Amino acid sequence: MKKGIKSKYGLFIILFVAFIGLLYACGKKFLDRPPVGVYQPSTMANKAGVEGLLIGAYSLLDGQGGAGGSWDAAASNWVWGGVCSDDAHKGSDPGDQPDIVSLMTWSESATNSYNLAKWQTCYDGVQRANETLRIMRLAKDLTPADTMQISGEARFLRGHYHFELKKVYGRVPYVDETITYEAGNWRVPNDVDIWPKIEADFLYAMTNLQAKGYQGSVGRANKYAAEAFLAKAYMFEHKYTDAMPLLSDLVANGQTAAGVKYGLVDKFNDNFNAATKNNKESVFAVQNSVNDGSTAANANAGDVLNFSYDPSAPVSCCGFYQPSFSLANSFKTDPVTGYPMPTTFNNTDIKNDQGLKSDDAFTPDNTITLDPRLDWTVGRRGIPFLDWGVNPGYLYVRNQASGGPYTPIKNAPYASQIGALTDKSSWTAGYTALNVNLIRFADVLLWAAECKVEANDLDSAQYFVNLVRSRAANPAGFVHKYIDDANPQGGFSNTPAANYFIKPYAAGYFTTQGQDAARTLVRFERKLELAMEGHRFFDLVRYGTADVELNAYVKHEVTSGYNLLKGATFVKGKAEYFAIPQSEIDVSTINGKKTLTQNPGY
Amino acid sequence: MPFKTTRMRIVCCVISILASTCLLAQQAVTGKILGKTDKIPVAFATVQVKGKNVATQTNADGVFTITVPSGSSVLVISVVGYDKLEVPVGGRSNLGEILLTTNTSSLNEIVVTGYTAQKKKDITGSVAIVNVKDMKAIPSGSPEQMLQGQASGVTIITSGAPGGPTNVFVRGVTSFGNTDPLYIVDGVPGGLHDLNSNDIESLQVLKDAGAASIYGVRGSNGVVVITTKRGKAGRSTISYDAYYGTQRPLPGNPFHLLNSQELANALWKADIQSGQVDTLTGLPVSTQYGKGAQPVLPDYITPGGAHEGDPSVNPALYNVDYSKGAIYQITKANKQGTNWFHELFRPAPIQSHTLSMSGGSEKSTYYFSLGYFNQQGTLLETYLKRYSAKINTTFNVKKNIRVGENAYWWFKNNPQIDYFSENVINYDYREQPIIPVYDIKGNFAGTNGPELGNSLNPVATQLRTHNNRGYNWDMFGNVWGEVDFLKHFMIRTSFGGTVDNGYNYQYSYHTYEDAENNGSNGFTESANYNSYYTWTNTLTYSNTFGKHNVKVLGGTEAIRYYGRFLTGSRINYFTDDPSLQVLSAGDPKGATNASFVYQAALSSYFGRVDYAYNDRYLFAATVRRDGASPFGTDRKYGVFPAFSVGWLISDEDFMRSVSWVNYLKLRGSWGKMGSYANVPPANAYTLYSAGAGSSYYDINGTSTSLALGFYNSQIGSNVTGWEEDKITNVGIDAVILNNKLDLSLEYYQKNINGLLFPDQTNALVGGAARPNVNIGNVKNNGLDFSATYHAMIGRDLKLNSTLILTSYNSQVVSIPGAGGYFETGGTRIGNFVRNAVGHPISAFYGYKVIGYFKDDNDVSKSPTQADAAPGRFKYADVNNSGAINDSDRVFYGNPNPKFTYGLTFNATYKNFDATIVFYGSYGNDAVNYTRYWTDFWASFQGNKSKNLLYDSWTPTNLNPKAPILENASTFSTNTVPNSFYKESASFFKCRSLIIGYTLPEAPLKRLGMDRLRFYVQAANLFTITKYTGLDPELSGNTSAFGIDFGNYPNNQRSYYVGVSLGF
Repeated sequence: MKKGIKSKYGLFIILFVAFIGLLYACGKKFLDRPPVGVYQPSTMANKAGVEGLLIGAYSLLDGQGGAGGSWDAAASNWVWGGVCSDDAHKGSDPGDQPDIVSLMTWSESATNSYNLAKWQTCYDGVQRANETLRIMRLAKDLTPADTMQISGEARFLRGHYHFELKKVYGRVPYVDETITYEAGNWRVPNDVDIWPKIEADFLYAMTNLQAKGYQGSVGRANKYAAEAFLAKAYMFEHKYTDAMPLLSDLVANGQTAAGVKYGLVDKFNDNFNAATKNNKESVFAVQNSVNDGSTAANANAGDVLNFSYDPSAPVSCCGFYQPSFSLANSFKTDPVTGYPMPTTFNNTDIKNDQGLKSDDAFTPDNTITLDPRLDWTVGRRGIPFLDWGVNPGYLYVRNQASGGPYTPIKNAPYASQIGALTDKSSWTAGYTALNVNLIRFADVLLWAAECKVEANDLDSAQYFVNLVRSRAANPAGFVHKYIDDANPQGGFSNTPAANYFIKPYAAGYFTTQGQDAARTLVRFERKLELAMEGHRFFDLVRYGTADVELNAYVKHEVTSGYNLLKGATFVKGKAEYFAIPQSEIDVSTINGKKTLTQNPGY
Repeated sequence: MPFKTTRMRIVCCVISILASTCLLAQQAVTGKILGKTDKIPVAFATVQVKGKNVATQTNADGVFTITVPSGSSVLVISVVGYDKLEVPVGGRSNLGEILLTTNTSSLNEIVVTGYTAQKKKDITGSVAIVNVKDMKAIPSGSPEQMLQGQASGVTIITSGAPGGPTNVFVRGVTSFGNTDPLYIVDGVPGGLHDLNSNDIESLQVLKDAGAASIYGVRGSNGVVVITTKRGKAGRSTISYDAYYGTQRPLPGNPFHLLNSQELANALWKADIQSGQVDTLTGLPVSTQYGKGAQPVLPDYITPGGAHEGDPSVNPALYNVDYSKGAIYQITKANKQGTNWFHELFRPAPIQSHTLSMSGGSEKSTYYFSLGYFNQQGTLLETYLKRYSAKINTTFNVKKNIRVGENAYWWFKNNPQIDYFSENVINYDYREQPIIPVYDIKGNFAGTNGPELGNSLNPVATQLRTHNNRGYNWDMFGNVWGEVDFLKHFMIRTSFGGTVDNGYNYQYSYHTYEDAENNGSNGFTESANYNSYYTWTNTLTYSNTFGKHNVKVLGGTEAIRYYGRFLTGSRINYFTDDPSLQVLSAGDPKGATNASFVYQAALSSYFGRVDYAYNDRYLFAATVRRDGASPFGTDRKYGVFPAFSVGWLISDEDFMRSVSWVNYLKLRGSWGKMGSYANVPPANAYTLYSAGAGSSYYDINGTSTSLALGFYNSQIGSNVTGWEEDKITNVGIDAVILNNKLDLSLEYYQKNINGLLFPDQTNALVGGAARPNVNIGNVKNNGLDFSATYHAMIGRDLKLNSTLILTSYNSQVVSIPGAGGYFETGGTRIGNFVRNAVGHPISAFYGYKVIGYFKDDNDVSKSPTQADAAPGRFKYADVNNSGAINDSDRVFYGNPNPKFTYGLTFNATYKNFDATIVFYGSYGNDAVNYTRYWTDFWASFQGNKSKNLLYDSWTPTNLNPKAPILENASTFSTNTVPNSFYKESASFFKCRSLIIGYTLPEAPLKRLGMDRLRFYVQAANLFTITKYTGLDPELSGNTSAFGIDFGNYPNNQRSYYVGVSLGF
């Protein structure tokens, strides 16, 4: 009987065995499915891993590829530093990127997406630097020298990202390497001034880094870059006496990561040309690259919207960041002295083509004397636009009625560089290999001038200013007319494109004018030299004159026809700092109490 | 644990085997059960010895064998759809053919539910049984879309795109992420999207824990159980079902847009009202339209504003070839205006063919079908072409051993557009009417002239995808074996799964006609494959002891997932020749490639007990223990129990006298289910990545090369567990009025705890992806109702009508992370949706427009509001602070309907039949985001609405349909989400109307045919709605739906002819 059962249930027995087999398959091992194709912490804790993490921390300098957005987290700070100051209008159609409008009129809400993107990107950068430090401590194959180098660079970057946060948002929490998700201690309050910590990071970097960039990499922070950033922090804190020795050292001994002594390049525009980047004037810059296998993600994507809008031009997008009437006017020079006109520059607008179509006749006013830096900073009708051709005005502008007549230049590539120093693999051709200069040597010289003014050493101040003006006055560095307007890439003639007239100040000029006038002239020189480089707003706040200057600016621009600023007011005590993202404040709550406090006025 | 369970089971079985040896001395009786009219074998009929606890079921051939104890002489045969029959044995061992008469009540129907099958009347859980025939009244390539309005408790939002996406919510929105129910096809997890609806035999939706929690961590979103057709023993049949139809785009001017002259007039008005005019003349300045008192349409738009005879329009200057120098396009103005909607949407054909064969013998059965479905979308270059084949077989190896397989294979080409953000339909209202489709030489025209905006030519965009392909092929199915043993036991093993391959490539052109052109051409080719297997083993025991009926099921299941993805791209192709569209023909300098891999596993035990006392007190319990690899070590295993009870009141003695009640059942259930759909496979791990764009950096300043960089890409979580869903259900089922009216009403409450969502932290943690953690709770409750009325009027008129009503109320109960909310539904002007505590999922949030500022006086006496001016929106000062700011934003709309309803009427009169299907949604709002583009002049230079030109605010039009026509973008108009965009999106659609004629049997028989039916059909005959966009039915992401970006309409009329024939 038993035998019979056995054969009858043969299949059943087979199935039953399979059943048991399955029960074992269902054990713990079956559920062990680790991720494939990514690294785990153990893979990173060695020299190569830590150095790679450090590169990853550098890679966020461009504001791209991290937690935040794209052009809304640009390294150039074109929105906060530029559009929110008297440098530039938003540009484009009035409704394009509406969140910039409210920033530009200092009326943004705490939910502004640009403020969020910048905030997220900077803290992502901070934590990438911190992660480098954390994993560095787990690595067993690092020499003390390696540790010094890596921690120096990591802390430099951490200092930089905090600096960005500090100048945009004012009250910000400082996040060191002990703050992690796992530890649950990330609700850091913003109730203490973080300048001392920023200083400490730069000081550490300055003390521990070598003069030459590690492994000869020109993009690395070296000792002098750290020193310049520390000096910049002191400038923001108005600690002129602390800053001056550093600035003096930088002028006397400073050198780039490539080991070249700091100096001003002969031609002003070499600072804004991808082919001549990382020159002796580049103290520290965001390194941008193209055609590198990243589909333009490492290009200067932050400024990708900031080009002209003529479909026949090589770069035809998207018409943002249009220089203001006031900025163009600032470059007027006194026809007798060749000095700028800091108090009267805005009395009348330079002749422009606002309201004119490209086929309407227009000739620029050649009787007026101008600082040659104007036409490397502001694209205007009738002037050669790099090697693209004579600027046709209206056609280069996306929406003249809502943005004004001017076009940005400093971030623009040459037509002859398209494809080689630009990247065409994305949706628009404006991905360039131009670096974003975070500090260039002219910056250092003008800080030195500021310090000297505050120390009432006006001759020295004038000396530094004149270094910058003399370079600008180099006729070889002017914009010249084309040999043949019909063939803009056929080269330039020796004829300047406009009536350029600029002079260094005559000996003793600052002293005769007095400290206040000298201060004004130094600040105005910064405006001219560094216009459209994302510094202006922060400088105005630093000077404490933002309300006066910007409210006057609003009045002027509206009169000139820029309606988007109508009704805008810079409220002193509020608008110096931008709104901390509301979602960040909300999520910082512990036991019903918010650890982050909003800036006043929002 | 596993070993212990096994050992117990072995012991159990051994005891049973021994016990069975003493039950052998009786008479075996066989028979074959057939339907009385069709003579088709009746499978799964229950054959019971009257008065004894001895019963069996017929096999697929209708054959049964039962051992009749001595002294018994009558068998009771019962099966769904037929009247109960008593057959005297009379000492015979073979009863021959037994014929059953069909009955009108479906209560004895066997319904396939979780891992088992039950009689409909014995079900204690909540199961929506779909009438597959009614469902097929909707012509669609996807059964998901057909399911709309056919199952109570199931809300379906779908789109008109061929093979487009569908939101399926079983009992409300149960998650912020994936809410798709689990689809079980012939016992194996699969999909409904690409099934051939003609292969479907039955479809059930398991809605509550009593029914679905046997699926444990996969059950929370509901379970849809699909059984495909199998062959029946007896005569072979061949069927052919086909239809052909034409779909018609929405007629007229569905976006209510301006023509060329009107748009120019609007420009003039905007510039004048904004003061953006020439200071001398006081008139607008335009390259295209001149500088006069009235805009004058130019003859050419590129070069801008040119007129006939201008030297600039000399065709010799024309060039659109980058290799030949600068682009110089010459495009004539379309002075009448291009109707971009009708350039993009064209009438399109649709056809479906299914040929199936089925049959079998007592030893084996087969079902084989071939399907071809081809729907050309009305939107250019959208289509779904699908070929499918299905083979189901069963072999009766021994009397007690059955093996079989189910196999389904499909291959499709189904290019998709972007549905839930700005897409090609968006270009329809952004491309100005003055732009023609083609320029003077027949190349595409576009926005590359002054003042033409920055849209893309939608026709060009679509036609350029012509050579792109998006292929998918999928093999899906299982093999299974079943052994009956020891009378009461059945063991079943099933091994099944899928291998799914996707393959696509697309070429992008170096465009010349747009304001913002692609920088170069490019080509991308990608492939992916997804696979999983499921190995399920179950053991069933069923027995009857007197009045006690017991059924026990135990099982194990192992599921493993694995998939890979590969993509590569190159740019700078020197020619656009389609024959050179391969990666290697592109520039290696711009080459990119990537691949990734995922894997996951699930292992489970489950069990179920069904107990019935006296056939009227029902009790069921299920439990499942799941282990899932994506969860952290601390939360890997979950246990999901459920209990349900039922009381067949109508069988009680006191109900016998109530003659109008034929059937009445009260039931209730409670249980837990889970979901792990929203946790990525590697969620538990902290990971680092290297990404060219995200961590590589040109540290050496080369401008063209990168140094390797890493970044912390993900933070792991060991404490993340499944989403847990506790659901309580009460229901009442009744059949009344002489079996004419079936009613079912259910109420449920569903508490979903620990919704999986990326942890909410602030940015201080860094950029690494936060792990998904259990952070939110949602509460759903609602009513499901269905009613079916069937009646015969006279001899020939048969009526059947069904009403399905679904209502749910999804409310967010908690979102930790302090803010108590997260925002989504992103647009150019920010997020329209805030998911917040105390509010429905996907609720619309923003400033509330209470009117328009009348004049300066109104502005000055109203609360302070940025950019306030006459003709702009006046927002509600919700907190009465005297100023409008962030805290004045409110929840102003809800895309969740109060209820949705489906109505189906069938009538047959003699050989004619008619079906009409309605579907409606009531009480849902939509955000008509298309109005951002068309109702504000300053939102880009696209086309604008009639409302903006003719019914916008002026000092004399104080109750307008749009704010003042001006060239300014402000907080008080179009830069922030506000309630201006909200519209009621309730609708009532006539989804289908069918009139058919079946040829009389006699002449067909002569032709050798069994059945021949022709029909004509109209779909979407009408839609009644107040919504002003294309279609109020707006699908989307789960946490943000109901936003109209210009969705592919699902209300386009279409007409069909169809045939169904059988041999």
